[in-house]
Amino acid sequence: MSLTKTPVSMTINGVLVGPFDVPESLMMLDFLHEYANLTGTRLGCGQGVCRACAVILDHDDGTSEEIRTCITGVGYFAGRKLRTIEGHASRDESGNIKELSPIQQKFLDFYSFQCGYCTPGFVNAATVLVEKLKRQPIDKADVETVVTDALNDHLCRCTGYVRYYQAVKEVILSTPGLTKERPHES
Amino acid sequence: MKAKTLAWGIAVIIVVGAGIVLSGVLDPSYKTAAIDQADTPIPAQLIARGKYLAMAADCTACHTSKDGAPFAGGVPIATPFGTIYGSNITPDKKHGIGSWSSADFYRVLHDGIAPGHPVYPAMPYTSYRSISRADSDAIFAYLRSLAPVPVANRANDVPFPFNIRALLRGWNFLFLRNSLPDASSGSSDEWVRGKYLANGLGHCTECHTPRGALGQLTLGKTLQGGDLGDIHAVGITPGQLAARGWTTADLQHFLAFGIAPQGSAYGEMHDVVHYSTQHLTQADNKALVRYLTGDTPLSPAALPAQAGPAPGTEKVIAAGRPLYLALCAGCHSANGQGKPNVTVALHGNSTVRNEQPHNLIRVILAGVSAKQFPGNQGRQAMPGFDTKLNDQQVAELANYLRASFGGLKADVQPGDVASVRKPK
Repeated sequence: MSLTKTPVSMTINGVLVGPFDVPESLMMLDFLHEYANLTGTRLGCGQGVCRACAVILDHDDGTSEEIRTCITGVGYFAGRKLRTIEGHASRDESGNIKELSPIQQKFLDFYSFQCGYCTPGFVNAATVLVEKLKRQPIDKADVETVVTDALNDHLCRCTGYVRYYQAVKEVILSTPGLTKERPHES
Repeated sequence: MKAKTLAWGIAVIIVVGAGIVLSGVLDPSYKTAAIDQADTPIPAQLIARGKYLAMAADCTACHTSKDGAPFAGGVPIATPFGTIYGSNITPDKKHGIGSWSSADFYRVLHDGIAPGHPVYPAMPYTSYRSISRADSDAIFAYLRSLAPVPVANRANDVPFPFNIRALLRGWNFLFLRNSLPDASSGSSDEWVRGKYLANGLGHCTECHTPRGALGQLTLGKTLQGGDLGDIHAVGITPGQLAARGWTTADLQHFLAFGIAPQGSAYGEMHDVVHYSTQHLTQADNKALVRYLTGDTPLSPAALPAQAGPAPGTEKVIAAGRPLYLALCAGCHSANGQGKPNVTVALHGNSTVRNEQPHNLIRVILAGVSAKQFPGNQGRQAMPGFDTKLNDQQVAELANYLRASFGGLKADVQPGDVASVRKPK
């Protein structure tokens, strides 16, 4: 019995990838690892619970969303644009990292993670949150709730959630335009 | 002239008759029992039996709110006539049933008349009517043995004219029947016991039978499926169960564990398994299934052993398979076999095999929350795809599932999806 194959191509981190002839039931995570040679995205539970495998899907209208690659088939991404953990830092022409993204840097500053296995998913989810707040700023008073809602579903078993939480809060409060002061009540 | 007099006469009789019915002078009354004597100790055995019967009757479903004390009420029950709140049935004298007698309790089960006023038929006295006085007394003894919880009853949110409780006596006059139609044919002792469990205590019919304009059960369509709520209560007649592939053994396992090869309990049925049917004794479990399937169960409808498209459905497969592989196969597997402790199989799944696509569409749109089941089993949350798929795509996906895994026609239309998507 042979696997039914289907051609796919997509844009990952700004680079056109493919077309590759892939098994039609291939999950996106396996495509990243085995075809796109991007191994930073992690396989955790393999059933859509832990979100270590989350990447960013960029929509044509400028919005972005996180999406779990372990339970989403490669076909869903055909012709679409996405970002993985490899695409956050800015690089020089030879591919060396020049500067980390603000979220990545703050995670380091706060020593947010120990083993780092869940980190790619957290970086993507926090980045999606920051991008959303650029479009829709929130009241400063709501930051903690918004961070909780955005990252609650991501599992981390090492650092107890406190430090990454502080890091994301710090990025949001220190980046102009993500928050607004509630008008003073007279 | 004579005809006019006659018409007037009939009108007067109807008005007077209705007045008598609604006034409550015809309300039945019952004798108190030994358990009502304050100085008579209530045997522990009776209380234990009452506890079991209260689980079989699933009192918890409506009388224990998610964040409240057991049996202290407060569960909202949405009906087409307004929201009714389950009442406090702890033995608190002010807010609960602490000042009731066993006769009062039997009357509310049997006639829907509480001390002081009729209750709404959201309280399933239409089914509980067949509960024996002895079993009613046992449940009453159990409830009286609990700690009183002084929580006030929440006022019902029922608009005029349905807030006139006296009218419920008229509803009872029109619709309350001494017995419900049989779900199947049978005469064995096990079938008779199952009938008592299903029609009385279990009150299956209250959700699984369609209702008429005044909220009455459409008895001519008993157990053919009700449509209250987001997830419809599916038809569970012997023919409908067999058509979806249920065997007696699988039904027994489903009621005991909430999981079977045909799928796992979701929607309100998960609560029913959790609070009620998992606690049934093996004998009562078997009896309940015997009644639902009859003394001579039908053979389950066959499915092709291998998942695959029926001839002539190639176009449907071509449209739906990419969606299935992109969004579903990661958990349900490419051939629909599911994964143990993660997801149900879709090949042969009861919801997929249901002729009525409502629940299938609803689940695709809204997903299912994570569930725990007896025996340390679980099913993880399923995401909803209401923002990812348009009506056309949901129809294509549903049709793929029906044709590939359900042995059904691929006849779901985008309009069907739109009507499920539309908030009520």
